[in-house]
Amino acid sequence: MSKVWLRWAPAAAAIVVVAGAAIAVPTVANASVSLPAKTPTQVLELVASSHVRAFSGTVEETSDLGLPSLPTGSVPSSVKGGTSADIALLTGPNSLRVYVDGPTKARVQDLESLAERDVIRNGSDVWVYDSKDNSVGHSTLASRQHFVRPGSAPQATTPDPTDATPAGLAKKLIAQLEPTSNLSVDSNVRVAGRAAYDLVLTPKVTDTLIGSVSIAVDAETGLPLRVQIDARGQKANAVSIGFSSLDLSTPAASLFAFTPPAGAKVTELTKDASAGPEAPGTSATKPAETVTGHGWDSVVTVAAAGSLGKLSQSAEFGELTTAVAGGRLLHTSLINILFTTDGRIVAGSVSVARLQEVASAQ
Amino acid sequence: MLAALAAVPILIAIAVRVTRAGDGGGGPAFLDRIENNGLFVVFVALTVCVPLFLPLTVGVVAGDTIAGEASNGTLRYLLIAPAGRIRLLVVKYIGAAAFCLAATLVVCIAGALIGFALFPSGSVTILSGDTVSLANALGRSLLVALYVTVSLLGLSAIGLFVSTLTDVPVGAMAATIILSVASEVLGQLPQLDWLHPWLFSNYWLGFGDFLRDPISWSNFGTNAALQAGYLIVFGALAYGRFAAKDILS
Repeated sequence: MSKVWLRWAPAAAAIVVVAGAAIAVPTVANASVSLPAKTPTQVLELVASSHVRAFSGTVEETSDLGLPSLPTGSVPSSVKGGTSADIALLTGPNSLRVYVDGPTKARVQDLESLAERDVIRNGSDVWVYDSKDNSVGHSTLASRQHFVRPGSAPQATTPDPTDATPAGLAKKLIAQLEPTSNLSVDSNVRVAGRAAYDLVLTPKVTDTLIGSVSIAVDAETGLPLRVQIDARGQKANAVSIGFSSLDLSTPAASLFAFTPPAGAKVTELTKDASAGPEAPGTSATKPAETVTGHGWDSVVTVAAAGSLGKLSQSAEFGELTTAVAGGRLLHTSLINILFTTDGRIVAGSVSVARLQEVASAQ
Repeated sequence: MLAALAAVPILIAIAVRVTRAGDGGGGPAFLDRIENNGLFVVFVALTVCVPLFLPLTVGVVAGDTIAGEASNGTLRYLLIAPAGRIRLLVVKYIGAAAFCLAATLVVCIAGALIGFALFPSGSVTILSGDTVSLANALGRSLLVALYVTVSLLGLSAIGLFVSTLTDVPVGAMAATIILSVASEVLGQLPQLDWLHPWLFSNYWLGFGDFLRDPISWSNFGTNAALQAGYLIVFGALAYGRFAAKDILS
């Protein structure tokens, strides 16, 4: 009996060792971090005084918005750059590599399996490259203009690569939400191997879907390393965008020098003209936007004439939305979007009742 | 089997050459790049082979290691020699691993040869949109081949273990191949997100990382560690089974 079991001992030991290593490695990485205590105001000052000119790193995005997740590869490729790509971005984890050298040189690479999308800014030139169809978009930057998220379909606006970094997002969030938030500093964290303060913004108002926003601020440089948005009543982070690795040395200059590869389709993206057939729904005139309230419970109303018609006929739209009084509702754990019957889009991190109230008031 | 693998890139190249379908946008990744540069035949062939053909052949070879000898009645003769059972297992595993390398290289070399024969060569546009020299691209192809080989080591270890369980080689081959397909099916289900990093097939298509600028090594490291984990666990299991097995044939 004992002999029979003894011969399996090496196998059992191997399993224990491998499982132990698999569990121990992440635990060690998350060991407690000791830093001199700081008040929330001091952490805010640290962020404001941050002067990181150049860095490179990998950014991991995950989100759990309570939307149905789609099997990888099941999204029909016939829907070009439209809703399905955006839904995939919303439901799946996403990995970006970011290179920044000063305010005018940046490159973001959106890494996908066997594909990649690049946004490169070098001086006043902005290039967008998509490896799937070998297409290049180019625009010249006169000044800082509208930004779109890198990775979304090329639009008639100029993308700003640095918007995709936790630092860019954190600074925006702090600017918008700080006046209407209670600030606190949570226990220190380690992000991308760096010790960081965890600044938590909790809304003062109660009528919002957002539970809190926590921003991990690098203790050494003040660079925001990770932004996590928690929804009320949901355990997992609704959105988490953070560096998984960060290098503060200046990236090689050759990374920012982009020449369209031979055989690529080059499209000139201009500021006010339609970007052509690849960006449906981008109208020459920007639809009117109204913002009701400010901070956490602000509600945005967009008079989306035309572009909504196409979207609302797709099967995906019907599956994702539910009928409510006054229109159809897209509910996520973080944001409610009401598509009213008269063609407006009313969106905000607030309850449905509040959206309906805003929609009917206008 | 190696000849069958070599036929894959040749078929792809000839099909693209004959039809000249233009860029419809469908099909496996890189397919529309072949007309610009023959080297992409290698990557298309690997994209096609990695999910099915390579695991199939590796499953056949690894499943045959011990069970094949047992069914031929040669296993006991091998063990009469004063070599020890561990050494036999190790040698058999090295044989299977060598097949992984050979199979991948056959696909790559056949792909490169037919690609350069039928399509233009020259500098190569990689996924990041940058253009690199042909020598650089060939070096990257070798790294891709190495990555794919490493990716298959875990499956080989599983095959070795399954092979020690039975005297019927076909059963061991089928079981190994079924496990690889099962792992890939599980990898497609978003509901099992938490499981994905632990599946041996999870990083199989990660070889695109060598076609970025700069090369991303993180997947390579994670994949190597994962495969090493599978190798240790199933190697030890195979030892546990084989060390005290009654050899009847």
